[in-house]
Amino acid sequence: MPTLEETIRQVMADETARLHAAPDLAERVMRSSRATRNRARVLTLATSVAVITAAPVGYLTLNSVATTGQAPSISATPEPPAIDDTPPVASAPPELGDLGDGREFGHVKVGYLPERLKWSNWSVDFGDSYSTAYNFDGDKNGFYCVQIYMYEEAAVQDIDSQIQRYRDEGEGEEVILGDRTGYLVVQDVGEDGGKGTPTLFLTMGAEQRAAIMFSPTYAKEFSGAEAVNTELKKIAEGLTPAN
Amino acid sequence: MSDVELDFGAFVAARATSLLRMAYLACGDETEAEDLLQTALERTYRNWDRVHRDSPEPYVRRVIINAAISRARRRAILSIIPMHSPPERSARATDVDLRHVLMEALRALPPRQRAVIVLRYWEDLSETQTAEVLGCSIGTVKSQASKAMAKLRSGLGRESVEGMIGNAHA
Repeated sequence: MPTLEETIRQVMADETARLHAAPDLAERVMRSSRATRNRARVLTLATSVAVITAAPVGYLTLNSVATTGQAPSISATPEPPAIDDTPPVASAPPELGDLGDGREFGHVKVGYLPERLKWSNWSVDFGDSYSTAYNFDGDKNGFYCVQIYMYEEAAVQDIDSQIQRYRDEGEGEEVILGDRTGYLVVQDVGEDGGKGTPTLFLTMGAEQRAAIMFSPTYAKEFSGAEAVNTELKKIAEGLTPAN
Repeated sequence: MSDVELDFGAFVAARATSLLRMAYLACGDETEAEDLLQTALERTYRNWDRVHRDSPEPYVRRVIINAAISRARRRAILSIIPMHSPPERSARATDVDLRHVLMEALRALPPRQRAVIVLRYWEDLSETQTAEVLGCSIGTVKSQASKAMAKLRSGLGRESVEGMIGNAHA
């Protein structure tokens, strides 16, 4: 009789046998990279040598990089547009856009973040709820360290119900942060790598709540739950409405 | 076509399907697996000068696995917090086949444990290599693998699995 390990191998092989990479995948990847590079060059030119030509940007064929000091040549033939150089976004939630250093997003400002954290370049925007995250390298696809999830207007009711459920179950504790209140709890949201997701729910006004979360992996960098909670409170205290 | 493009094209032609399958096992969704693979390959192509000197495959694998784990964690937060209700679990069917049962059990694992199982039993990586991909210690790989296997056994019910295996090979 096969072992469970052998069975898992066989099941995974059966499950994936139908999957094959698209024959044009390499070409799409390379075309996408070229398009990204060209867009970057066009941006560089637009900001540094905008006086070279009055021709529409789409009609520039860039045979040299602006930093070489050579002027780009101009061609009458536009490059074919890259029509499939971006991954499909139909199922992806909308984002908040470029947040710069990530210290202001939606309707809030982030006054404090633990050392070494940068904006992760990731965000989601569902209108009355939105979120962004911070990590060490600013990599959108990397691990998050701290995530802030905002709830406003109608979404407030959802998060209040969730906090009330934690209260009812005796999980977590009330905290007071100056003239605001919050609720500290370690949530089990399916993440592994630790004992749960340390979270501080902050009441910022009648129609605004924040959930500040540490990833379980990041939480391990601190000396214990108390140190994590201290950092969560500092972030909460620094979280204020944007003007 | 330049040498870089030829090299990269040859690598993708040789390994993309295998990497796509790994991505699918890591994330559990075909469309997302394709997106993970393309994103990882784009990053690899941009860094080809540095990556291709050794084998590029470990690099791609690491990008895919880490991105899959990261996305799964975000999804866990996104799906649980706004809805504030536990995910619905379908009733356990008695006549589903082994593949379906095992794949569902695999998907139910926390993302890092799932990644360990995929790397160990699909990619056939050693514990040391798995630790390198995940950026963790060998001890963590061992404990995660142990927990994952225990959950698979427990979730499935070892007896019923063995029964199904027996039936499948009968």
